[in-house]
Amino acid sequence: MQTWDHKLPIYQQLADQLAARLLDGDPAEGEALPSVRALASRYLINPLTVSRALQALGDEGLVETRRGLGIYVRPGARERLRSAERERFLNDEWPQLRARLRRLGIGPRQLNWEE
Amino acid sequence: MEPLIQAQGLTLRYGRKVAVDDVSFTIPKGRVVGLLGHNGAGKTTLMKALVGLLPSQGSLNVLGVDPARDRVALLERLAYIPDVAILPRWARVDELITLMSGLHPRFSADRARALIKRTSVSLADRVKSLSKGMVVQVHLALVAAIDAQVMILDEPTLGLDVLSRKAFYEMLIDEWCDGERSVLVSTHQVEEIESLLSDVIMLNEGKLVLSISLEEMDRRFVALSHDPAQAAAIAAAHPLLRYRVQGGSAALFDGPPPDSVQALGQRMRPSLVDLFVALTRAPEMNRTQG
Repeated sequence: MQTWDHKLPIYQQLADQLAARLLDGDPAEGEALPSVRALASRYLINPLTVSRALQALGDEGLVETRRGLGIYVRPGARERLRSAERERFLNDEWPQLRARLRRLGIGPRQLNWEE
Repeated sequence: MEPLIQAQGLTLRYGRKVAVDDVSFTIPKGRVVGLLGHNGAGKTTLMKALVGLLPSQGSLNVLGVDPARDRVALLERLAYIPDVAILPRWARVDELITLMSGLHPRFSADRARALIKRTSVSLADRVKSLSKGMVVQVHLALVAAIDAQVMILDEPTLGLDVLSRKAFYEMLIDEWCDGERSVLVSTHQVEEIESLLSDVIMLNEGKLVLSISLEEMDRRFVALSHDPAQAAAIAAAHPLLRYRVQGGSAALFDGPPPDSVQALGQRMRPSLVDLFVALTRAPEMNRTQG
């Protein structure tokens, strides 16, 4: 059974996982997400927690609720996610990665971009 | 909104022995409540009282009735799998469905057959030919086919392998939890069930030590992971529990510790199992904890 780490609240971890799937186009923009119950059963998470995760995605402008129909991926959601991820990489991950590369004495020439 | 279950000063005895001592809690609709406690903490006793199998002192209201007085009426809208549940070994699954149709006015045979279809069990199978995990799934299918508002499960997954446990909880969430009905489930597999729960009730030696929603638990309890070098400073702030986590140490506080202490570590999500350990150990062990 899936276990959740202790760094973040479970709803936040689920929201991150669902966002990562949206970034890969699953489901595509304009399409519906699985229902709260289907997600709850798939991830074995309380439905209230699933609703909170979907709420978080809604707050970020990634999904929207269509009354009586379900929750849909908003147009432009992927681009939005991609630019947020890009920003996070450049601000948080890249400085750490660069520092590590410098420590190891790896320069641009040793890095293979073509593979 | 009237809660589905309300206990106020509930005390349960076996002869002179007090098994559940002055316990108060409520369970509203649409909740999945975990009942946690060590062996002998009073979980099974409490569940028995909720379904009217034991006389109680104090006040107890389940679905608007006193369980001990109106047990028959209560059982029309309450589903229960006791820890000692068994299905007759000689019976076929479809015979059990026929039996239940005759026994319970709110049981739907169609629904039971639909639920059985989810599993790898077929209607013609005899109970004795099924694995332990399959029997428990059949049991859940039978009980979930009752149009009830409360389900009480006493260690339903005890002795099952991980796949059977997963299938059990998938069916429970998918087929039972609809935002209106509530479930009370006892288990020792705390870590596994944590994400499924909306609330938790903890018993220790018959006494209620905590009754809280997991959302509230995340707000109230603070877990800090920290460098082992800071252990003395952290201990001075009187955490409930100190424990090891991957790559270091951690401490659990009831309420936020002083800012100076918070600055020594990184805040984490408090885990239910750590909190359970912290709140159900003997106090003298807490003092010598190093």
